[in-house]
Amino acid sequence: MTRNRLELLQWFSLFAGPLAWAVEHVIGYFVSDAACSVAGAQWGLDTAAWQATLAVLTGAVVVAAWLAAYVTFRETRTVDKDEPGPRGRIHFFAEAALLGNVLFFVIVVLDGIGSVHDLPCHQS
Amino acid sequence: MAVVDRIEQLEELWLERPGVLGWLTTVDHKRIGILYFWTTILFFAAGGVEALLMRTQLAQADERVVSPETYDQLMTMHGVTMIFFFIIPMTTGAFGNYLVPLLIGARDMAFPRLNALSFWIFLGSGVFMYSSFLIGQVPNAGWFDYVPLALRQYNGGLNIDFYALGLIFNGVASTIGALNLIVTIFKLRAPGMSWNRMPLFCFALLAASLSLVFALPALTADCIFLELQRKLGFHFFDVAHGGDPLLWQHLFWIFGHPEVYIIVLPAFGIATSIIPTFARRRMVAFPLVAMAELLVAFIGFGVWAHHMFATGISTATLVFFAAASMMVVIPSTIQIYAWLMTVNLGTPDFRAPLMFIGGFIVFFVIGGLSGIMFAAVPFDQATTDTYFVVAHFHFIIFGAAVFPLLGGIYYWFPKVTGRMYDERLARWSFWLTFVGTSLTFFPMHIVGLLGMTRRVYTYRSGLGWDAYNLIETIGGFVLAAGLLLIASNIARSLRVGAPAGRDPFHGGTLEWTVPSPPPHYNFAVIPTVTSAYPNWDERDREEDLRRLERGDLVLDEAHETPATTVNDAQLSEILEMPPESPWPIVLALAVTIASFFLLTSHYATATFFLALAVLTLAGWHVQEPVEA
Amino acid sequence: MTTATLPVRVARPKGWWGAVVFVATEATLFGTLIGTYIYLRLHNAHWPPPHVPKPPLLTPTLLTVALVLTSIPLHVASRAAGDGRRESAWRATTASFVVQLVYIVWQLHDYVHTIDVYDPRQSAWSSIFVTLLGADHLHVLVGVLLSAWFVLRISSRLTRYRIVGLQSTVFYWHAVNVITLVVLVVQASTHL
Repeated sequence: MTRNRLELLQWFSLFAGPLAWAVEHVIGYFVSDAACSVAGAQWGLDTAAWQATLAVLTGAVVVAAWLAAYVTFRETRTVDKDEPGPRGRIHFFAEAALLGNVLFFVIVVLDGIGSVHDLPCHQS
Repeated sequence: MAVVDRIEQLEELWLERPGVLGWLTTVDHKRIGILYFWTTILFFAAGGVEALLMRTQLAQADERVVSPETYDQLMTMHGVTMIFFFIIPMTTGAFGNYLVPLLIGARDMAFPRLNALSFWIFLGSGVFMYSSFLIGQVPNAGWFDYVPLALRQYNGGLNIDFYALGLIFNGVASTIGALNLIVTIFKLRAPGMSWNRMPLFCFALLAASLSLVFALPALTADCIFLELQRKLGFHFFDVAHGGDPLLWQHLFWIFGHPEVYIIVLPAFGIATSIIPTFARRRMVAFPLVAMAELLVAFIGFGVWAHHMFATGISTATLVFFAAASMMVVIPSTIQIYAWLMTVNLGTPDFRAPLMFIGGFIVFFVIGGLSGIMFAAVPFDQATTDTYFVVAHFHFIIFGAAVFPLLGGIYYWFPKVTGRMYDERLARWSFWLTFVGTSLTFFPMHIVGLLGMTRRVYTYRSGLGWDAYNLIETIGGFVLAAGLLLIASNIARSLRVGAPAGRDPFHGGTLEWTVPSPPPHYNFAVIPTVTSAYPNWDERDREEDLRRLERGDLVLDEAHETPATTVNDAQLSEILEMPPESPWPIVLALAVTIASFFLLTSHYATATFFLALAVLTLAGWHVQEPVEA
Repeated sequence: MTTATLPVRVARPKGWWGAVVFVATEATLFGTLIGTYIYLRLHNAHWPPPHVPKPPLLTPTLLTVALVLTSIPLHVASRAAGDGRRESAWRATTASFVVQLVYIVWQLHDYVHTIDVYDPRQSAWSSIFVTLLGADHLHVLVGVLLSAWFVLRISSRLTRYRIVGLQSTVFYWHAVNVITLVVLVVQASTHL
């Protein structure tokens, strides 16, 4: 694999998951808030559809990021942990991203289940 | 050139002017770290006195040691002081500033004058906030300052204006400090220190600093909205004019939750420094621990509304925050397993620093478990605003943030002062502090579940709370005694402690390669780095001596330190660093004076002083590095 | 000083990274202000409140376009400075500064009038609108002061310190221009 492609995969694996979750979290929050607020209630938002779509799209990005991390990790599996950058650093971040993306995937799954299951505008 | 001549030249280049003027104009990160240390200790003492007064008031039912109004002020200032004037500036300003350049092989922070500025603005904001005591109009609506109580119609004095303006300026200081730490960690690492070779303490400080940069704007905006409403009659928080009191809470906790991770992350960093040293072994799962620190910070931005589970927000909204709150505990758990395994697999030496880390792990596990319980909305709604919450966050803030701090004080005391602390006294101080902390905060779990609400100045007898409150108060004084024992150990050792030498504990990181205390220039030669534990790489340290003789990256002809690339730390340029400067303290003074005029609604005069502050920047930037 | 044993890489200077972090914090501040705008908008049936005229569109749009276009000469200035072409850098910086100065003077003059018509003491809408606009003008003003500083400083000499300072300022300006555009969009959204 070329050095450039390896770099790209590494950065994608590190940042795509968290950024996708951040976007899902903010949009998901505002959609759920809009559905139950004075102005938003008039727009007839299908919150379940919105949240499910958001969760699926975000989940897909996170899975892609995890796969990128896995590919990068395997490409650099002979690297010693003390090896200098770039290969040492790439392996380090790939290992880190293998962990991170699992967590983000679980959050997205929980988000998806919860927001489809819970009735909007039901006061807690 | 002989080595001794090189050293002499470095000494001359990096020496600052003597006396008080030297301290007022210093740009040396070590001196600024020491300034932060003693200032935050003073605020710690103030916050502690506030706490003991509160505990004395609560020791027995129906007490009138202080009035309800005074209690509100004590409670508010205890929280504000401990968070904004003690723990954050202590961890980022004192520990961060002093240690990060040493840990990465640099001679100073990226922006030395900006570093000084962050301290003087911090001090100014503290003086500003505490001057409220002089006129008896102390902030009194809690450290979280909820509206409508904080609005002018319910709080007409200057109390809340001290709070809001003080925190805006304190936030400026913290932002500047965080910016400096981020750019230093990015750009000033020694050649060869790629991300996988950077100490975990630096990952922790990086995570905390990135969080500060992205979290503080929410608090700043909130305080600006509050002041605009209070002073100029704007409408953000009142329903009658289209506002919403929950807006305050949302913005406050969007800042406030990352803030608590900002509090605890540097403590994690201290733990991950002490453990490998005293376990005599590299940290288990180093990349996962580094990532865990960044993940805690990032996921922590998505949990804020768990502080608002009882405000009536729709369950469909709360789902997002419950999900993130459940997952945010995982990275912390990974770190705990890594720490425990490292100690287990190593040959632990339970001297005082490691004992404090042991205490930290105990308290962090308990505090973390009570915290994860709040992620469940029903449980949270039953226990919100009870002492169960107070127990949780004190186990975390005191147990998980302050304990590593205390361990870190002992651990790095020999490096900073060149003297050893008294080990026996240190162990006694650990046990006293541990027992005191447990006695003070554990019963709060029980009394909270028994229904005692928080933020009350007294309670009726016969509710089953009396005995627990008394134990907590006794515990508070035991804890104070433990802290005083630590203080006296430090004070005594400063005078008569045995010489510590360069490396009393055989730690793995770069600060142990330089003399104790470090010379002004930190490193005679910019160190060779080929692993994350450079002090354990004897061949590299021998190579350093050879490079010192050759003059390879000794940089003894000017006031210099190298800059490297962000990812792989490859040398990119030699930076010339500024000498001492009067501009930071002058600018901070102008800003502090402006804040007093804003407080009293003298807007024109305030603008004048802020304009003066902007003008000092011109003076600041007129001085440029000498071109080669 | 010898660096005989290590090759030297070309990299972004620390001043540029400082500007990046500074922009990150200011962008977050604007994100917070706009998030507040959206939040309040959702919680109000009428937005703006009834009987309040919608904010003007034509003049702000023309002014904003002019401001955003200064990113072009600023980019030219940044490149020229990096190449050591002082006069070219100075001319481009001065051209941007003139347009930016006209922009801010005009906007601040209009702002005084805006506060009169959309009195923030009337509603949450006018409060957040006036605050958002004011915050943007303040950030543009800071940019104008920075431009003025470099018009002065590079009229005589180009040093590495001034080059990095100018490039960091240009980065700040690009960010402010994007933010100003977003604020204009928010202002225009009231017409939807």
